[in-house]
Amino acid sequence: MSVRHTLLGLLAKEPRYGYELRASFMALAGGAQNWEVKPAQVYTTLNRLVEAGLITRSAPDGGGDEKVVYQIAQAGQAELEKWLGEGSLSDPQQDAFFLKLMLSLELPEVDAMRLIQTQRAALYQELHRITTLRGELDPHRELARILLMDKAVMHLEADLRWLDMIEARLDEVKKQPVPRPELRPRGRPSGK
Amino acid sequence: MAMIEVKDLSKVYGQGSAAVTALKDVSLSIQKGQFVAVMGPSGCGKSTLLHLIGGLDRPNNGSVSIDGKDISKMDDTKLTEMRRRQMGFIFQFYNLIPVLSAEENAALPLILDGMKPEQARVKAREWLDRNQMGDRLTHRPDQLSGGQQQRVAISRALVADPIIILADEPTGNLDSRASDEIAGVLRNIVTKWGHTVLMVTHDPRITAYADRIIFLKDGQIVDDTLLDGGKAENARRLKEKVEQL
Repeated sequence: MSVRHTLLGLLAKEPRYGYELRASFMALAGGAQNWEVKPAQVYTTLNRLVEAGLITRSAPDGGGDEKVVYQIAQAGQAELEKWLGEGSLSDPQQDAFFLKLMLSLELPEVDAMRLIQTQRAALYQELHRITTLRGELDPHRELARILLMDKAVMHLEADLRWLDMIEARLDEVKKQPVPRPELRPRGRPSGK
Repeated sequence: MAMIEVKDLSKVYGQGSAAVTALKDVSLSIQKGQFVAVMGPSGCGKSTLLHLIGGLDRPNNGSVSIDGKDISKMDDTKLTEMRRRQMGFIFQFYNLIPVLSAEENAALPLILDGMKPEQARVKAREWLDRNQMGDRLTHRPDQLSGGQQQRVAISRALVADPIIILADEPTGNLDSRASDEIAGVLRNIVTKWGHTVLMVTHDPRITAYADRIIFLKDGQIVDDTLLDGGKAENARRLKEKVEQL
């Protein structure tokens, strides 16, 4: 949803072409290497915004697709204000590593300690990559991007601390029952 | 040839039922110009490993070679000389002499080694300058921040042109910003001046500046990772294979 609302925000400043919107979005979002949106995604989103009455499109006579200019509508302005007025929470609870760890409790051939070590190595590699990238940025011109990378660094550090915690308590976890659903009988064929 | 070659290194403290195994058959090799971090929970043996490599302690078993010289076979006199001339140590506490300036502190190892003070100061200034302390040469330790004092301590460790630098929790006493800066200084020493650095730390933030992390647990290496991707152990095996062919 963030792409859609950010496009609205960009149009709240001034009317723009589609390719201009895509480039402006990626520049704001920390560069194309950080958050790349495909042209198709931008145009699909713009079409939906038009259909929802949040923006309008106008094409000068004889212009192709590339000459279409988008403008924010009044309803779009209201939608944007609503979005800006809400808090934004990311969802750290849906975690791929956690799923692997839970599977290791079910599958005897998966070594949980190995999983932790592999994950730790991957996090350190990412921390190294971000730290190197961050070091190449100019604090006098690119402070906003440095702050975005600081966020990544802090999250990676938190993930590493979390791994330490799991490692320390893994034996306890292994002694507890694996969470299982309560399955109600669903009238399957009994096999006779 | 590796700069640091550790083979089947073991260290046991105490005897009989009170014996604690700090290191168990650890083998690793570190190439010249590599920045290696050693991590692990407290009591994993990381400080013991650093002390054995630095010749500050003797192993029960196994060997440590620095630049092809087996230090586990050296007598105390030779070992002390090796430590003084070829190894630079950096610790959590800077241990600078309060009444001496930054320049005098950094020059001290050379002066104690018999170099003329004027000549020693030139070398000290060179390293202080490289570590961004060139504008604080006459400051005494109490006039410097923790990060700046550590830069002086790093300059002091480098002034005698050691072939390896051993750092034991070099940012243990610093806030996160100063830690980042010190990690950057160590990175620079490796990238720009080609030194080999082995650092023990528990701080993930500064580990991110290294080329490779070795994880120790219960006295053994449990993982060995190159930070720009891949497993160090695999890289080493591959290199050995290529050399055999």
